[in-house]
Amino acid sequence: MLLLLLTAPQPIGTGDAARAGAAANESTEEAGLSVVVLDFLCCSVKSMKCREKEEEEKKRSREGGKTEEEELDGFLCLVTSPIEEEEEEEEATSMSSPRSRANMVHVYNCHPYASQQIVQVEQEPGLVCCGGGALFVVACGGCKVEAYSVEQEGCPLICRFSTMGTVRSIQHSKTGDYLVTIEEKNSATYLRAYTNWRYQAEGKARVGVRLLGHLLRGASVRGGVQMEIIEIPLSERPVAVACCSVTGDLLVGCEKTLVLFTLRRPNQQNLQSQSPWPNTQQSSSQSQGQTSSSNQNVSILDFERSVIVHLPKMSFKQVALCGGYVAVQAELEVLVLKLEASSEPQTPDDSSDTNTCDDPLEDQSDLLLIPRQQELLGDRAKDCDIPVSIEKTGLEDKGQYTLSYVLFRRFTPEFFQGCSVEETQLHSLQLYPLYTRSQSASTEEPACVFCFFSLPNAGYLYSLKGGVELLSAYQYPEKVLEAVLTDTLLHVITKNALQCFTVRCAAVAARIDDPYIDTTMKACPPCSLEVCALRMQLFIGLRSVCVYGRHVILLSAADMETPDESERSTQRRSRKWTISSPKETSAAAHGWNLYVVDTVSPLVLYREMVEYSRHYSETNPQAQSLRHLLSEAHLLLCASSLQQSREGDHTVSLQKDTEGQTEGQTEGQTETQTETQSDRQELQEALRQNCAQLGDCYSRASQKDCHQALPYYRMSGLSVTEVIVRNRPLPSSLHSYGLGFLFYLKHFLLEETEQSLSQETADEVVDIFSQSDPSEIISVCASPSMTNISPARTLRVFQHLEATAGVSVPLTITMATMMLRLDDLPQFTQLMDRHPEMLLVYGFIDEPRLLLHGGGGGPHTLVRPISLTRQLAQSQPGLLVAGMVALHENNKAQLEQADHIFKELGCENCLLVDFWEATLMASSQEAVIQELLFRLASVYIERLTHTNSDAHSGLPRTRPQRRPLKSADDLINSSSHYGSLYPWLTVLCPAHTTSFQHQEALHKLQSLLCGPSMSIGSVLPLLERLSEDTLWGFSLHLLCATRRGQFDSSIEKLLDRCPQAIIAFANHHLQDRHMALWWKKLLPELCNRTRAAGDNSILLAALKETLVVVATETSPAQFLELVPDDGTASYFLPHLMTCSQRHLLA
Amino acid sequence: MTTKTSLLKVILLGDGGVGKSSLMNRYVTNKFDAHLFHTIGVEFLNRDLEVDGHQVTLQIWDTAGQERFRSLRTPFYRGSDCCLLTFSVDDNQSFLNLGNWKKEFIYYADVKEPEKFPFVILGNKVDVTERQVSTEEAQRWCQENGNYPYYETSAKDATNVAVAFEEAVRRVLAMEERTDHLIPTDTVKLHRKPRSAASCCS
Repeated sequence: MLLLLLTAPQPIGTGDAARAGAAANESTEEAGLSVVVLDFLCCSVKSMKCREKEEEEKKRSREGGKTEEEELDGFLCLVTSPIEEEEEEEEATSMSSPRSRANMVHVYNCHPYASQQIVQVEQEPGLVCCGGGALFVVACGGCKVEAYSVEQEGCPLICRFSTMGTVRSIQHSKTGDYLVTIEEKNSATYLRAYTNWRYQAEGKARVGVRLLGHLLRGASVRGGVQMEIIEIPLSERPVAVACCSVTGDLLVGCEKTLVLFTLRRPNQQNLQSQSPWPNTQQSSSQSQGQTSSSNQNVSILDFERSVIVHLPKMSFKQVALCGGYVAVQAELEVLVLKLEASSEPQTPDDSSDTNTCDDPLEDQSDLLLIPRQQELLGDRAKDCDIPVSIEKTGLEDKGQYTLSYVLFRRFTPEFFQGCSVEETQLHSLQLYPLYTRSQSASTEEPACVFCFFSLPNAGYLYSLKGGVELLSAYQYPEKVLEAVLTDTLLHVITKNALQCFTVRCAAVAARIDDPYIDTTMKACPPCSLEVCALRMQLFIGLRSVCVYGRHVILLSAADMETPDESERSTQRRSRKWTISSPKETSAAAHGWNLYVVDTVSPLVLYREMVEYSRHYSETNPQAQSLRHLLSEAHLLLCASSLQQSREGDHTVSLQKDTEGQTEGQTEGQTETQTETQSDRQELQEALRQNCAQLGDCYSRASQKDCHQALPYYRMSGLSVTEVIVRNRPLPSSLHSYGLGFLFYLKHFLLEETEQSLSQETADEVVDIFSQSDPSEIISVCASPSMTNISPARTLRVFQHLEATAGVSVPLTITMATMMLRLDDLPQFTQLMDRHPEMLLVYGFIDEPRLLLHGGGGGPHTLVRPISLTRQLAQSQPGLLVAGMVALHENNKAQLEQADHIFKELGCENCLLVDFWEATLMASSQEAVIQELLFRLASVYIERLTHTNSDAHSGLPRTRPQRRPLKSADDLINSSSHYGSLYPWLTVLCPAHTTSFQHQEALHKLQSLLCGPSMSIGSVLPLLERLSEDTLWGFSLHLLCATRRGQFDSSIEKLLDRCPQAIIAFANHHLQDRHMALWWKKLLPELCNRTRAAGDNSILLAALKETLVVVATETSPAQFLELVPDDGTASYFLPHLMTCSQRHLLA
Repeated sequence: MTTKTSLLKVILLGDGGVGKSSLMNRYVTNKFDAHLFHTIGVEFLNRDLEVDGHQVTLQIWDTAGQERFRSLRTPFYRGSDCCLLTFSVDDNQSFLNLGNWKKEFIYYADVKEPEKFPFVILGNKVDVTERQVSTEEAQRWCQENGNYPYYETSAKDATNVAVAFEEAVRRVLAMEERTDHLIPTDTVKLHRKPRSAASCCS
């Protein structure tokens, strides 16, 4: 769809005229031409035609004596294209010739330029530059500089001063508030820095002049502050200069070399020690009534030649410097280098290599070599054929500098519309720093540095830090003479128009500022968002442009060939646009003008964009253009908030630089601060609004982008209810809920927020999902935010769902939960009985929030039981435990979280232990197993000590407990961690001698100690609490001692306490490598005890059994050795016989 | 470009205390201060004037006359259009030093044709009654050294100050008119010979 809109651009000016224009514009747009699409090539042709037409009309009006107001100022041709198309083309052509790039650009007819003033300059301006709140005008061909305040109404003259030669180039440095010029006088070229220029109010004060490095306490120190000129001698002719906005350093491009001068601000003490002269004269002069106190604030600057870079193969046109980045621009080449001071001595590096390696093509210089297009980023830039070398200067103890290549770009001269091959030259080289909010005021290094340069037909913006990349390529509709980059906008001038484009610097800075951008928490339009033009404002005969803050300064000069034309146009313009001024007639008489065009604040521009976007949202809310415009608006706000955060620092630094000004400044500053405060709030509010609108945009977006709705809505600060209201479809439309909206809602409900929706909203959410995405409805209803849902209403929805989509376990559980909410227990039970427990457990794994809330926020968040959990604890504890074990085993709940749930349910003594036992059975994680073994051992010990061991004494001391889900036998039979009880334990503690609970606890603990997994070491400290007085207590200690291999002492103890168990013990434990203990320990022990006890049948039986074993295991000779000397032979003989016989047989 | 004003650099040289700063102040601000400081290094003032229909900005360079400031002032001799050699009529030594000042200027200003360079000689402080240098003596010196115009001035009572500066302008304009008729063969020389002045920053 290509539409063309021709509309008269509104005159920029105050009040009514602009509004009238806007109204006219609106009326055109209402006619259905809100989007204007056109190819730019076509546009330029068209606009040329328009201009012809315009001139014809003018001619006619002149002849016919028409009033000039009826004339058209010109035509604005707007060009947009569907975004997808452009992206494709961009991909394909990004590395090829700039001309073959897509010649499409969005144009919105916004009003970034608010008002205009004409600077009352008497002589025709030759050069113009600005900085430090001032506009510097060098009179045409002249040696006089006039400084005007751009920040005051009417741009009053601050001061004027003469230069020492004819100024060829002039720059202002923010840091140090100095001006640097390249001047010519009597055919020689000079480089000079002008400091303290603000003290030249009348132009009649003496001006000090000195050479670089020759600091002297001249008039500026002894008397009032004096303007001073520093002459900077150079061995080569300076071609271009640049000041670093970060450090105030000065970069001078000579014909084949670059010289870097670092700014020095010596204090008074240094100055005195540096002064080569004795103090006599000065002290006498001070005694003459001069005070030195007033000189404390005098800004004394000097420069130090710090490094020289040789680039023998490049002839510069322009240079730029910013925070260590050095950019040089030749006719069709741009090279960016990084200059870093390093303390290590410089090793001969590749720079010298490149210097020596000769280009093989160089000798064939008689051939016409057409260099090819090149774009080399980062390290690759060193492959460009431009050698660079460093020459050391300065003092020897100063650090060395190292150079690295950052970017190289080479273009080929090409013809393009309205611009000859010769005219195809690069211009407007700029390095631009941007600071982020998180940077402290003292930080010198900017977070981002951008490099901009421009051909007549296209401009290029690169981001240099954190990986060099082409950020945007600007396609101009016609030949651009100059361009200036700012935080928010790119201003370009053609011969007859000032245009402005959007920039992506803020998008880059925002990402450096905040690492959470591009997550589900925060969003920001991408750096690759295509740029657009906001405005084309007609002027006649534009020559140059520069920018200070929000002030765009334009110099126009009509061609001398058509004096009539220019005169008429200036008259017309002045009548329409300018503030009335008494000198208007004189201004109209000459063919030139110096304008200060103010741009509106980003907030104002933002509001206009929002207003503009309303047209789109009404006509076509899904249009890409709406989203693009809102994204542009978002970036404006981002840039603005970056600006604001630096503004405080800026005022301070500015004050530092312009010391000696009025005292009222501090007052003004506090005023500014309160202003900034309210500005900041306004900005935050605008940002929230914009995020809400972007959220709306993305909530209706396609699959690809819809997820963006979530972060934008989040940043908007809107509540879910508000978002739901914004997304409510009109009752008349068939329009359903957007994917982005559903995405947002799902995410919100998935998150464990404490915010619960009202019943009304919750019910609406159910409706939204039952209509748009029924598959999600269960997890939606399981959200803690949905607790206020109306159960009866929801049940109806579910019943309908079941009828259409069939029965599912999670659905059944959800319905059962609703029944529970309705207190309908029979229905609840009926529903829960529909599926076997195993399937219900799977249901919980599918949707853990059916069982517990709060688990989604990570392992350490607090979980809490819900009504279903409580009910299950009563009616189906087995299911609850199984469910919790399943959640734990599937990493949906942590052990601590499960503990918490059971504690909340008030069953830490029963169900929790059941859960541990069950988890011990299920788990395969060693750490979990050890933890549970320990916990269970503690619990069992606790139970043993707190229950009465007497089987007949009635109730235990603790409150009655539910019977554990698993008995000791169950555990022994089903869990590998519970071992079978050793036979001697049964002898030691026969069953039914204690209470059931006590018995169970004892058996479980014994079983754990008999099992393979329990680490005895860990349980020992726990056992220390138990006395050995009782047999069961003794049994546990003995178990431990045995497990630790202390058989000797165990045998003794067992013989002491319970000899009837000794044979069972020995049979079980004295096997294999412990076999020898039978005769080495047990036999002598038994012999001794029988001897002492006499007729102890138990001991005798044990002795007999032992002898049987010993006789089987030893040789007759060994056996004979073992027989006690005092024994009765007849008693031992049968055994000896068995032994011999067995031996013989073997 | 028709209204272009030419910038003329006129430099005041002479012994310390002969009244160079006072002459400049008298001419530009029409004020006189008997207790001016010694000039340190180099300073300048501008004054616009019209001479014989030419719009001219006169840039008057005041220098420190004392010997110890030599290294500070000499780098700025270059590019001068006219040199005002100044002495004080009540100080014979300052008159005797005129030749040295001329030599220093010609050397550091790198003047191509010293014999054609416009010098103007100023005998200041004629208001003082005890003269040490007579008018005739001064005029003779001017005659012998290159036929330079000689003016007796007083910064204190403004005698001849404007006339002297205007004469300087006329001299320069006359020079320019002569050179305008020549074919401009002497184009910009980028590689000047190394000079002691350039190395003073080391």
